[in-house]
Amino acid sequence: MSKITVEELAALMKKAAGVTVSPEQLNDKPDTGFDVLGVDSLGLLGIVGELENEHGTPMPVDAERCKTPQQFLNLVNNTLMAGA
Amino acid sequence: MSEPQDRRAAVTGIGVVAPNGISTDTFWKATHEGLSVVDRVTREGCERLPLKVAGEVRAFDAADTIEERFLVQTDRFTHYAMAAADFALTDARLGPADTAQSPYSIGVVTAAGSGGGEFGQRELQRLWGKGSRFVGPYQSIAWFYAASTGQVSIRRGFKGPCSVVASDEAGGLDALAHAARAVRRGTDAIVAGSTEAPLAPYSVVCQLGYEELSRESEPGRAYRPFTTEACGFVPAEGGAMLVVEAADAARARGADIRAYVAGHGATFTGAARWAQSRAGLAQAIRQALAEAECAPEEVDVVFADALGVPAADRAEALAIADALGAHGTRVPVTAPKTGTGRGYCAAPVLDTAAAVLSMEHGLIPPTPNVHDICHDLDLVTGRARVAEPRTALVLSRGLMGSNSALVLRHPSAR
Repeated sequence: MSKITVEELAALMKKAAGVTVSPEQLNDKPDTGFDVLGVDSLGLLGIVGELENEHGTPMPVDAERCKTPQQFLNLVNNTLMAGA
Repeated sequence: MSEPQDRRAAVTGIGVVAPNGISTDTFWKATHEGLSVVDRVTREGCERLPLKVAGEVRAFDAADTIEERFLVQTDRFTHYAMAAADFALTDARLGPADTAQSPYSIGVVTAAGSGGGEFGQRELQRLWGKGSRFVGPYQSIAWFYAASTGQVSIRRGFKGPCSVVASDEAGGLDALAHAARAVRRGTDAIVAGSTEAPLAPYSVVCQLGYEELSRESEPGRAYRPFTTEACGFVPAEGGAMLVVEAADAARARGADIRAYVAGHGATFTGAARWAQSRAGLAQAIRQALAEAECAPEEVDVVFADALGVPAADRAEALAIADALGAHGTRVPVTAPKTGTGRGYCAAPVLDTAAAVLSMEHGLIPPTPNVHDICHDLDLVTGRARVAEPRTALVLSRGLMGSNSALVLRHPSAR
């Protein structure tokens, strides 16, 4: 199971929440809150749903509660690596 | 005691997204010229359904004016609402910087008949086609008929009183009345109105159960109320939002008062009981006139509900005569919606916009496609009539039995 990259997250933010953010932005400022970026709780839930469908595995329940892209990537990637 | 306040509810802004125009100017030009834009249904997935003619909004690209993150979480009916609200606020010269100063003094009221059918259909197709995990979370809010109020208030940062009226097509007028009451109770301004998007396959199929829906395939013949050829109504999408503002608040910032929302009445007589709607609509008119302290003879123009079903048209003509007496057969009556179709809750809001513009321009718009009236009404047909309307009466009835009347006064009226 491969890790989720900032590129993948940026694409999902666009698709599920309509928020345009570049992978570079996510790399440079990974602690900028989802709220500041314009991703609300339903938007994050949509991102989680897309990931679950894509990878065929449930994400941790805390994934939709993450406040920043950094937190989210850490949690989700730890889960994916542990299950691999 | 403080200074006497003028909390009358004034219209200070109009925003339109209609089949015949995506701005108030183009809407009014098409309306007073009697342009008919009802046409064959072209929306994807609707081509083979028995509904052949509708009023589609074709010249609107939501992405031109609305941020993508609002677009992904909303249905077409809310796209129209957000755009129309922007247009109305710009028209009223209430920019983001103005409303940000006192966000609690401005709210939103909308009415909606069917909510977000297109969005809902897409998500339900995912549910049954792929499974529940493929339904997007925004389905939880996008289909809901309250969505437009919520999204307009969130997007513009309005924190004043917000509500949604669910009272059938007449709810468009009830929303404006609700806004006027909020203003009289102390809120400076309410963005109020209705937009609808009933032209997606699922939504159209839902409407096929209405006996009143026109199945006619020739656009010019599909919606001809008050004639012997009346064969039902043509549905439409789009709508209008108005800025309803306290007169003193408008004056304090130097804004033009376009008209006053002077009186409103609402009754209920039951679904598809058109003969009974006569008494209900007449009573709504009487209530609206009483609240406006308006004598029947003062009404200069009536914007009719004009359902296009013979029994309903008869009931409306009789209701106008019942409530206005002999004046009811002399007052100019118009139904510009025959040129655009009938956008459910949005229809009477577009009529209200047209009524305000009619008083401003001294022109009563005609009723497109309608000739040879078979009721005792002075229906304006053919061309716009030059007049000086100072008081307008807007009527609306819903398929489920609601009847409403709204009285608008020109600022120069007493």
